[in-house]
Formats: sequence, C-alpha cells, structure tokens
Amino acid sequence: MKVFEAAKKKLALVPLAAGAALVAFPSLAFADEGAQPEAAQGGGGVELLVPNPLEFVPMLIGFILLWIILAKFAWPVITDMLDKRVTTIRDSLEKAESAKIESERLLEEHKTQLEDAKKQAAQIVADAKAAGEAVKADIVAAAQVEAQAAISKATAAIEAEKKAAIAQLQSSVADLSVSVAGRLIGQDLSDADHRRVIERYLAEAGSLNAN
Amino acid sequence: MPTDRIVIKKESAIYAEALLEAARQQDAIFALSGQLETVLHAVRGSIDLRATLADRTIPAQTRSGILREVFASLDPSLLAVLTVLVERDDIALLSRVNDAYVQRAEEALDAVIIDVVTVIELDDELREKIIAKYSAQLGRQVLLREQVDPSIVGGIVLSTHGRRIDASVVSQLENARTVLSTVSNGGER
Repeated sequence: MKVFEAAKKKLALVPLAAGAALVAFPSLAFADEGAQPEAAQGGGGVELLVPNPLEFVPMLIGFILLWIILAKFAWPVITDMLDKRVTTIRDSLEKAESAKIESERLLEEHKTQLEDAKKQAAQIVADAKAAGEAVKADIVAAAQVEAQAAISKATAAIEAEKKAAIAQLQSSVADLSVSVAGRLIGQDLSDADHRRVIERYLAEAGSLNAN
Repeated sequence: MPTDRIVIKKESAIYAEALLEAARQQDAIFALSGQLETVLHAVRGSIDLRATLADRTIPAQTRSGILREVFASLDPSLLAVLTVLVERDDIALLSRVNDAYVQRAEEALDAVIIDVVTVIELDDELREKIIAKYSAQLGRQVLLREQVDPSIVGGIVLSTHGRRIDASVVSQLENARTVLSTVSNGGER
C-alpha cells in the first residue's frame, strides 16, 4: 500500500516539474524557432540564451492555463481513478489476506478433522479388532463347549455300548459255561456219582415241614 | 372269582373222590397216586399233548382216544376218570384233581406223600434215608412218589403240600448262570 501512496505522490509532481523546466529553459521550447532567425540573421550568442518575452509570456500563460485546466478537471479524475484503483487493490489484498487466513484456518481445521478422522478410523479399527477378537473368543469357546459335549456324549455312548457288550458277552459266556457244565455233568456222572450227589444234597436240603 | 374257585374245587373233589373210591376197591391208593403223578408230569411236560387234550375243535371222542393210546399202560379206573376229564373239557383241572387226590390218599393212608424227582432210580438205601429224614421232620409216615427226570441233570427235587426243595444240579447251574451274568466287572458297573 505504501508503494501506491508513493507512486501517487510522484504522479502529482509530474506536471509541476514540466512547468518548472519550461520556465527555467524557455530556449528549449523555442529552439527550432530561434535557430531559424539566427541562421537567417547570421547571428547567435546571448540572444539564443535569453527567451523572447513575446513568445515566452504567452506560452507561460498558456502553460499556466493548461495546468489549471488539468488541475481542475483532469487531475481529480485521475486521482479518483487512482484512489479507486488503490482501494480496489487494497480490498483485493485484504480479501486475499483474509482468504489466506481463512484458507489457513480451513487448512488447520481440515488437518484437525483429518487427524480426528484418522483417530476415529484407528479407533474403529481397534474396536473392530476387539469385537473380532471377542467374537473369535466366543466362537472358540462355544466350539470347545460343543466339542466337549460331543466328546462326553460319545464317551457315554461308548461306555454304555461297552457295558452292554460286556453284559451280553458275560451272559453268553455264562450260558455257554452252564450248558457245557450241564452236558459234562450229565454225561460224566455215573449212577454211583449221582447217588453221592443225591445223598449230599439230601443232607444239605432244608425242611419240608410247613409248620 | 370265588364262585369259580369254589366250583372248581368241588369239581376237582368229585373227580378225586371217584378216583379214590376206585383205588380203594383195588387197594391201590398209593399206586394210583403215582400213576396220577406220572400223567400230570407227562401233560405238563408236553405242550402238544396238553393243547390237543384241551382243544375243543377236536371231537371229544378223538381226544379221549388219544389219551387212551398215550396212557394205555395206566390203571383202567384212572384212565376212565381221565377220559371223563377230557370229554368234559376239564383237563385243566388235572393238577387240582391230583392235589385233592393226594390229600385224600394221605388221609386214607395216614401218611405224607412226598414227590421225589431224580435222574436215576432210587435204590433202597437212598429211599430209606429220604423216608427217615422226612418222617422225623414231619412226625408222620412218609410215602415217596418217585419220578425219573434226566432234565434235572443230577441231585434231587422234593415237594409236598405246596412246599418244594429243589436240590437239583440244573437249579444249581441256573443259580451259577445268574451269578455269572450279573457279577460286576471290576467295579465298573
């Protein structure tokens, strides 16, 4: 903004400097006109350096008039335009500055949001992992319980089958043993043996007395 | 039903009285009881014979003919009573008739009749031992109705008045079989 202020001041000095130059060096303004009479006259010297009042005064008046006109009509327009331009640029810069600040704020905000989002995502992943672990543990525990129940059931069934098989085998062995024993006794005992058996059993037999 | 039981008892008594009267006339009261026991044993031991004699679809005369054929060697008076039992469809009363007859025979003979089942024929020594033992126990004269039955394998079975002493080998074997079948297996039961 300071740069614009300086430029504005410099522009204000331009017409003033031009007028001063013309006043200080009137011969420059009229050099071509002065050169011709001098060449025609065949003279030169100091006359060339001293302005001709007849030319200088009207030109000064004209210059002053021009300066007044310019100062009256053109200069305010130019300065207004420059002011507007300055204002516009300042506003633009302010807007840019505020936009920059806003963008930085938004950037920070977005960074914060991103961090939050990252944290949330990490939390979600951690929660999901924990939930997964819990589900996994539950499934494993349930499977273990189920497996244990199946093993217990199978063990009980096997035990029952084993007992039934043993009982059946025992019964079969008993039947076979008794059958074989009966046949052996029936075949091998002589009449004398039978009599001895009868005597022994008779000696051991209980009473037939109902009273 | 009490009424039925009374009727059955009366009917059985009638048959027993008829048989006892016939036996008394022949002076063969005890001998007839032995034959009656033989018939009872045979009928009990044969399902076919029992079913045939009780089958009302077979004419009564046919059944009595079968009876006479099977027991042709029996006393005629016993056979006559048995024929009446078959023809009147009362063969199921045979056991009760036997009981009633034995009861009356014991009263008539003043003795206790003991049924003895063995594998071999009893000799006099065994017979005397049995009589001596149970005469002393019962305080009365003892008469033995002997049956030979190989199915008892060995030993002796005694029965009278509804009491039974089974000292047979087959019952011992049956006891052994029961023990072997139910014995525990190393405490795992």
